[in-house]
Amino acid sequence: MTLTMHSSLLLMLFILVYPLSTTLSPSQQNSNMAKMTKVAVSSAFFVSLLPLMVFLNMKTEGIITNWQWMNTQTFDINVSFKFDHYSLIFVPIALYVTWSILEFALWYMHSDPNIDRFFKYLLTFLVAMIILVTANNMFQLFIGWEGVGIMSFMLIGWWYGRTDANTAALQAVIYNRVGDIGLIMTMAWLATNLNSWEIQQIFALSKNFNMTVPLMGLTLAATGKSAQFGLHPWLPSAMEGPTPVSALLHSSTMVVAGIFLLIRLHPLMENNKLALTACLCLGALTSLFTAACALTQNDIKKIVAFSTSSQLGLMMVTIGLNQPQLAFLHICTHAFFKAMLFLCSGSIIHSLNNEQDIRKMGGLFNMMPTTSTCFTIGSLALTGTPFLAGFFSKDAIIEALNTSYLNAWALTLTLIATSFTAVYSFRLVYFVLMGAPRFPPLTPINENNPLVINSIKRLAWGSIIAGLIITQNFLTTKTPVMTMPTTLKMAALAVTITGLLVATEMANVASKQVKITPMTSTHHFSNMLGFFPTTTHRLLPKLNLTLGQSAATQLDKTWLETIGPKGLALTQTTMSKTTNDITRGMIKTYLTIFILTLILATAPALL
Amino acid sequence: MLKVLIPTMMLFPTIWLTSPKWLWTTTTAHSLLIASASLTWLKWTSEAGWAFSNMYLATDPLSTPLLVLTCWLLPLMILASQNHINPEPVGRQRSYITLLALLQTFLIMAFGATEIIMFYIMFEATLIPTLIIITRWGNQAERLNAGTYFLFYTLAGSLPLLVALLLLQQSTGTLSMLVLQYSQPLQLSSWGHMAWWAGCLVAFLVKMPLYGVHLWLPKAHVEAPVAGSMVLAAVLLKLGGYGMMRMMVTLDPLSKELAYPFIILALWGIIMTGSICLRQTDLKSLIAYSSVSHMGLVAGGVLIQTPWGFSGAIILMIAHGLASSALFCLANTAYERTHSRTMMLARGLQMIFPLTAVWWLAANLANLALPPLPNLMGELMIITTLFNWSPWTILLTGLGALITASYSLYMFLMSQRGPTPNHIMGLQPFHTREHLLMTLHLIPIILLMTKPELMWGWCY
Repeated sequence: MTLTMHSSLLLMLFILVYPLSTTLSPSQQNSNMAKMTKVAVSSAFFVSLLPLMVFLNMKTEGIITNWQWMNTQTFDINVSFKFDHYSLIFVPIALYVTWSILEFALWYMHSDPNIDRFFKYLLTFLVAMIILVTANNMFQLFIGWEGVGIMSFMLIGWWYGRTDANTAALQAVIYNRVGDIGLIMTMAWLATNLNSWEIQQIFALSKNFNMTVPLMGLTLAATGKSAQFGLHPWLPSAMEGPTPVSALLHSSTMVVAGIFLLIRLHPLMENNKLALTACLCLGALTSLFTAACALTQNDIKKIVAFSTSSQLGLMMVTIGLNQPQLAFLHICTHAFFKAMLFLCSGSIIHSLNNEQDIRKMGGLFNMMPTTSTCFTIGSLALTGTPFLAGFFSKDAIIEALNTSYLNAWALTLTLIATSFTAVYSFRLVYFVLMGAPRFPPLTPINENNPLVINSIKRLAWGSIIAGLIITQNFLTTKTPVMTMPTTLKMAALAVTITGLLVATEMANVASKQVKITPMTSTHHFSNMLGFFPTTTHRLLPKLNLTLGQSAATQLDKTWLETIGPKGLALTQTTMSKTTNDITRGMIKTYLTIFILTLILATAPALL
Repeated sequence: MLKVLIPTMMLFPTIWLTSPKWLWTTTTAHSLLIASASLTWLKWTSEAGWAFSNMYLATDPLSTPLLVLTCWLLPLMILASQNHINPEPVGRQRSYITLLALLQTFLIMAFGATEIIMFYIMFEATLIPTLIIITRWGNQAERLNAGTYFLFYTLAGSLPLLVALLLLQQSTGTLSMLVLQYSQPLQLSSWGHMAWWAGCLVAFLVKMPLYGVHLWLPKAHVEAPVAGSMVLAAVLLKLGGYGMMRMMVTLDPLSKELAYPFIILALWGIIMTGSICLRQTDLKSLIAYSSVSHMGLVAGGVLIQTPWGFSGAIILMIAHGLASSALFCLANTAYERTHSRTMMLARGLQMIFPLTAVWWLAANLANLALPPLPNLMGELMIITTLFNWSPWTILLTGLGALITASYSLYMFLMSQRGPTPNHIMGLQPFHTREHLLMTLHLIPIILLMTKPELMWGWCY
């Protein structure tokens, strides 16, 4: 059984890598890379189901170490894969979601001349994420970590003729690099103190150490990658990329990598109160802040992006609650409906001639029934409607949160953020699907393409039943609190419904102008993303670039030059000029000096 | 040793006796043969740490990677120079290649030397061909100034080294690298001894270059022709790092305290030169400053004097040698087409040269240390060592990594991405030669990833 499991997992990896290797084939003109990629991913998905079944049946987990990569005296780095319940469950989900996204991208990007390259990038992105998830070694994990980072750079900057796309891509890399500092620090700490980067060895050795420093590094790393508060602005900017990229970035790769890192290394964390509290507060703050930002955005993709950010905050809160498996559950269910929401937005954007502003949509449920239905399902799942995918994870998280006796402030923020989820989801549905159309009459609305329908439908099934399936088969090791007062039990639903009611009332009010001069400062705060990018994106680069400029012109070109070569040359030329002035053939002066010197020299002898 | 050295010397008759038609082909082939012969050094059979060929020349795990890099680079330099030297009279072409071959000869002898004094002589001897390459074949009048800077900075640093070496010879009776590490630790305490300590290192720190004495480097890089920039970045700077590693062994008791200011200066230099890179408009100058920044990390790793520090330094030296040389080649290909080094004027080249954009991307990713490229292994090891020395250094090194990523991608975005300006018309397509050149740069980087022990240095 173990053999079946491991060989099929490796087979899956090889299937995924095969389309990438066709890059080396000389006949590129008639290659069919895009379709092949889709087929590869779907077959990899089916192959990966086999180990999943084995795991579900027999609880087989394993670590395979293939090759000693490098060795520095006493420090080994191996190529080693970890197939435990996290990676065994996550990989099929990632493949399933990516399969749909790729199918959708075949339609969405069909007119792009570089569609093959686009698919190659997407596939590399996915492979990097799988490396990250299956890594049993910090170095290998770091390869996947940076791999998804750099691939997101390439994909966000896909339309590289546009400055916005380029800056967004650069922003993603720079914010991620800030997080990388944390990861590098953790790796340095582990190497110096534990002398190992193998994950199981780290767990075994770390018992006697105070892990606060490396855990802070990990938290910083997760903050960068998973766009937690402080390092979040790259996530909405990343919407500059094509929609399939956003779908992949937000569902199963990249942004969940940070959370996944914390889940993977959670045993280091579980006894460290400081790190847990940091995660809890950070997550709560992120969740609320980004949910508040989502409330007033008008770009359909930005709203969905902010909702991801808010959900990532919720996952971080769950880590702070010491419930990594619930966070993992939320990653899994979130992947389905978030990918679907993005694909639906993509379908809508494409149909409305690249219009992304929700104020110019409306009434789409008549014209795009499938997309609208799935969009609604996705929004409902996101808000945690009972028995859709989101419910199983979200409700469990909120229950765990309500029954814990942790920081009440963080818990309140999270609850408010949960109610905001209903508000912005309703706003999205209200503006996009309901009401009367507000778009130009001649728009090429056509969703009747099997590539669109099938991919979205597949994810819709996932959004409906995935939660049930996963929770039936994957039990959290921590026993959840089963008994609680009805108010606490219903809290998640209650805040969501409250949010929904408030939102409908607000929508009602918004259509009539109640106040002549509305108070807009809160709206501006939310709409301008809390003025966060406007300030930090100006101040910090300005500081650094001014430093660079003054280092170049004032230090290098002025001080160092003057003290060094130029100053030296100056002293030498002054001296040589002075001595040069004397030698001008004035024979009388020379003779006078000569005689004077002679007298001075001989006088003592004569006297 | 001689099976590489003698063929290298036989390059001179090859250069002067082949017919002009076959000049470039023959020399490239010949030097490539030398390079492949040099790969045999990597097969490590000796148990003693040194593999001798005679009393004066030997290789050990520290010098071997640098020697192979030196040999590998000559064919690449010849390939890269082909386009801009070809229009010149054949005699000048021959003398140009002669200079490059001469430089390789000196470098092989410098890295292969077992006597520090011979290393010193060869270290100085490399100045002559490099100076001629810069001042004779540079493109602008400013090259003379660059040559002066290059020569005087290096000489001012290395003359004290000569005195210091003679003193060392007097007190230990030998300057052989083989026995020096076994000699009695010196009793060093007075100010004179500290001056001696500084004298032993300053030459190399200038060559590296350390921040503060780096002014010669951007000038030399910007003004030199492509082969000059390549060899400067790839090998000549590494003479500094190599020399430091060799000398550190004898300087032991004093370095513990005296190295502090230099480590701090090196780390501070990473930030400063990185920030300068962010403001560069000149492509070659940007790459040159990025070399200073990377070498700061190398200097930090060496001065820390731990096995990981040394290993990281040598890995980073090799990896950076290949990556920065590749970047200089790419900058030159852009320069030969647009006749400008200003990045602003040649944007959006990905549209015109898609395959070249791949080379740019790969070279830049190597420069910003993407795992698992050897650049990352080196940086990670050095950062770990420094972190072990003082956890606060992570602020400087981490910020340095952030800035490195920023300017590398800034360079990539500026040159390859964005809209193509209208004045860019009728660019010559890329030659296969240029693609080959880039491939030959990147293949070693990628292959070293699979067996990094080859350049682990003493840790292997």
